[in-house]
Amino acid sequence: MAYDQKASAEVAKEAIAAKADLVNLIQEGYTAGIQEVGDLYQAKKLFLPHIMSAANAMNVGVNLLTPELEKAGKSAGEGLGKFLICTIEGDIHSIGKDIVAIMLKVAGFNVVNMGRDIPVKDIVAAVKNDKPKAVGTSALMTSTMVNQKTFEELLKEEGVRDKVITNIGGAPTTQQWCEEIGADVYSENATDCVNKMVAKVKG
Amino acid sequence: MAEYLTYMGDGKRIFCTREKIIDDLQAGMAEAVEVGNVPDLTSEELAMLCDIVCDRNRIVSVEPGNEVVLSNDGAQNKFTGDSGSSGCGIEMSALAAAQVHERALSMDTFEFGSLDNNYSVKPLKAVIAMQMQKMEDMQNSMIVPFFYGAMPNMGLYYEPDGPFGNPPDLMREGKIEEAQSEMEKAMDMMTRDIEFMGVKMQEAGSDGFNFDTTASAGDGDFLSVLRGVELLKKARPEAQTMVGMSSENVIGIHGMLDYKGQDVAGIYPHDQAKLAEMAGVDVFGPVTNTKSGKSLAWNMAYSVALIKECEKKSNLPCHVNMGMGVGGIPMLETPPAEAVTRCSKAMVEVAKVDGI
Repeated sequence: MAYDQKASAEVAKEAIAAKADLVNLIQEGYTAGIQEVGDLYQAKKLFLPHIMSAANAMNVGVNLLTPELEKAGKSAGEGLGKFLICTIEGDIHSIGKDIVAIMLKVAGFNVVNMGRDIPVKDIVAAVKNDKPKAVGTSALMTSTMVNQKTFEELLKEEGVRDKVITNIGGAPTTQQWCEEIGADVYSENATDCVNKMVAKVKG
Repeated sequence: MAEYLTYMGDGKRIFCTREKIIDDLQAGMAEAVEVGNVPDLTSEELAMLCDIVCDRNRIVSVEPGNEVVLSNDGAQNKFTGDSGSSGCGIEMSALAAAQVHERALSMDTFEFGSLDNNYSVKPLKAVIAMQMQKMEDMQNSMIVPFFYGAMPNMGLYYEPDGPFGNPPDLMREGKIEEAQSEMEKAMDMMTRDIEFMGVKMQEAGSDGFNFDTTASAGDGDFLSVLRGVELLKKARPEAQTMVGMSSENVIGIHGMLDYKGQDVAGIYPHDQAKLAEMAGVDVFGPVTNTKSGKSLAWNMAYSVALIKECEKKSNLPCHVNMGMGVGGIPMLETPPAEAVTRCSKAMVEVAKVDGI
């Protein structure tokens, strides 16, 4: 695999010029390609630079196609809704969260990656302002996972807890922790997150 | 039908029939065979694991004669740390903690590490003189092999904590080659720091260096430790080195590194041990990561299958990491003794580890 951003852009431009089926190009081309990279990543055959390169190459092409699709009143993917994702306050680990963000985007979510060490109050503000379908927080330390609980409490205080699906992940977090703090979905890894969240939003 | 108290990987208490436990043992082993490319456990070994899980006693142990060496990492933290770090919250000096481990808890090795300085290689450079003095003082009171311990923790070499660009941030911006270049610079600095720290502590009388949670920052972290051990052994051949890992699989953050022609990213314990041996490591500490959504039986069989192959392939003594979230033990700050003793017995009597 080449992860060639220039070639990715050229394919998108050619498809636009030829008035090709752009939705099909995204689903059968870009998405299929990065899903293969994702599978190889899960199998430990490819690594972080590969999946990030593949995501960057995909984004170059999809970003060219998206305005054309919007003009035609079409959606690039399954349109599963907006998904805010971040590493919780106090925690700077971002690699796993970024991979999850890529895989959620591939699955059809409109992903907003807020970054790392995001204050709980800022995540709540984003929930109120952006009205996402779901919000995912990652914590890689026992000392920062407690902020996932604070987040749940602040969502309730601000009256928006029932407006959003909350998803938690990160090495020390567990299903039991998810239930204890009242989060909606626990994800053990990127694939688990995609499977559970797609099922959750589709009901 | 009789049911047995056991646990999920997140620590939840559950009751399972023997048949369910057997199913979980087989499924856990199958997963290890698939991901780690290791052989199946034998039917006799699976039966032994089943008996261990189903033992009605709360605490289990090995048969006389099967005792193994107990080495340590985390220094005095297990007493002085708070519960979030599996500590007991007992204030005591580093020397008192070392003596308690040696004389009351029967540990076969112990270590001194500066938890006030992040217990990590990079920040410890700044306090090396104080660390050397403490090591010299403590060695005068200790009998067991007494190491200096620290985490390599290559993450501290990247922004915002260190001088080099943050690789995941750079990759997200599409700067893949720059990210890899920054990693390589960080690796060079960490290798030099390991040699510096190791040599200085040997001068202060240390018996060696214990690397805790190696490869937590991925393949570059592991490679730096291997290179650092090489340099340390060249400078101070008497230095005994213990390399304990952070995860069962070396995460490919760089993705294209090799050590003496062997790929570093994506390798499992039996291949990690080979690289450690090539570098001159004396004791290797393999890790398996507990899956919190699976049962104790599943995690036990998964971990034993991976570690058994590591022990078989390795010419080095292997001291498997056993504790919170590793070795099949549930992911809890203070894991249940039932689980800790069962997984430990399985590692000794089925995986045949040299130590814990």
